Amino acid sequence: MAWDKETELKLRQVIKDSGVALLKENLVQGTWGNTAVRLDEDHMLVTPTGLDYISLTPEDMPVVQISDPSVWSDGKKPTSERKIHAAIMQARPEINATIHSHPLFCSILASARIELPVMSEEMKRLVGGECRVGAYGLPGTKKLKEGTVKAMEGRNACFMANHGVFCAGKDMEEAFEIIRIMEKSCYEYIKECTLKATGQQTYSDELLFDYFVSQFDERGKKIKIKDKKKK
Amino acid sequence: MEKIVETILQYAQKLVAEGVTGDKDMISMRSGLNYMYITKAGVKLADLKEEDVQKMLIFKVEKEYLYHAEIYKEREDIHAICQCYPKWVMPVAKAGATIPAVLDDMAQIVGPSCKTAEDDIHYIIKTLKGRNSCLVKNAGCITSGRTLDEAYTCVLVLDKASRCFVASSVIGDNKIINGFEARLMRFIYKTKYSKKNQENLSQKEEGEAKQDTSKKEEGEV
Repeated sequence: MAWDKETELKLRQVIKDSGVALLKENLVQGTWGNTAVRLDEDHMLVTPTGLDYISLTPEDMPVVQISDPSVWSDGKKPTSERKIHAAIMQARPEINATIHSHPLFCSILASARIELPVMSEEMKRLVGGECRVGAYGLPGTKKLKEGTVKAMEGRNACFMANHGVFCAGKDMEEAFEIIRIMEKSCYEYIKECTLKATGQQTYSDELLFDYFVSQFDERGKKIKIKDKKKK
Repeated sequence: MEKIVETILQYAQKLVAEGVTGDKDMISMRSGLNYMYITKAGVKLADLKEEDVQKMLIFKVEKEYLYHAEIYKEREDIHAICQCYPKWVMPVAKAGATIPAVLDDMAQIVGPSCKTAEDDIHYIIKTLKGRNSCLVKNAGCITSGRTLDEAYTCVLVLDKASRCFVASSVIGDNKIINGFEARLMRFIYKTKYSKKNQENLSQKEEGEAKQDTSKKEEGEV
């Protein structure tokens, strides 16, 4: 092990604080989502499975081996998503902190499996370009892990199809900036698409709701574009 | 304060804090086979007090409480119900649409799809058959669970799934999780992932009150 106890204690607190901050900023719900920080080239601290971020203590974080995430020690049972955190840290030595979560607006693009174009200079700087979507895979599967690693190539964030978002930074502070800009950019993108679809100048949630409702007939079936034109 | 009342007050606050309530939300918990504790109709969850949680015999309720009572009568597996009006669920309920499996957590916690029922208890019970949640035409959603925590989580997941479904109308259609994988995730969640957790939560939520209530019921019947 190539890290000292003082560093480990500091990083345990970093991971604890990151969970609380994710909750406070509404970037995670309940016990969902997970974060990791690198201890050395082959070890990382991750959040445990199924525990809420408020009651979690720094001592609860297990140490997981990056080259073989089935090996872990200390703390409580690690998150089942640790394989993805490990795969990113193994593939990307410059990455020292990772966040996986399901923020509300990121989840919208993840569910539509739509690539997010560069929405601002800040997004370009932090994410590294447009945000891709990883191939769909059931939770905990090799397909999901490999799809995420591929979508992260040359990027610091990607969507996980029908699931959420994955962000990586040189430290937790940067990983946080990335998830924040991702959620903000997704919101901006949805607003932009709503204005384009409705031909209006000012966005409101109600504008989007009315547009959505107009796409259904009285039996709750989606009106096909052809039928809509006829009407 | 009885533990079951304390649990209802606690989850009412959680729903309010998550911003998934409207003006007419009501939550309830089953007590034994024949009783339920339910929040008073017309009282906003944000303003709920201990005296606003009432115990009722499910066979004898006023019409405001009928939906909850009928569901408990029909479904012995259901121990808690949230009847809520989350902002993003409302357009889907208005359209009368069915939300497909747009997210993994929806497939696991709510099920492979969530239908909209007409605002009539017979349709609601029919729509809930084999499911734990449904939307109600022009009237939000009804979620249920083995515990109040499960019913509460369903409200949050439905709200998020509704966001995805509604916003997909302007960014491109949702890519839906295939039926087999969605059903597989639901099966694993119900039988393995959440089973022990729900059993522990059930004891926690009803606590000693569960035993107290059963004693009282013996005396009352």
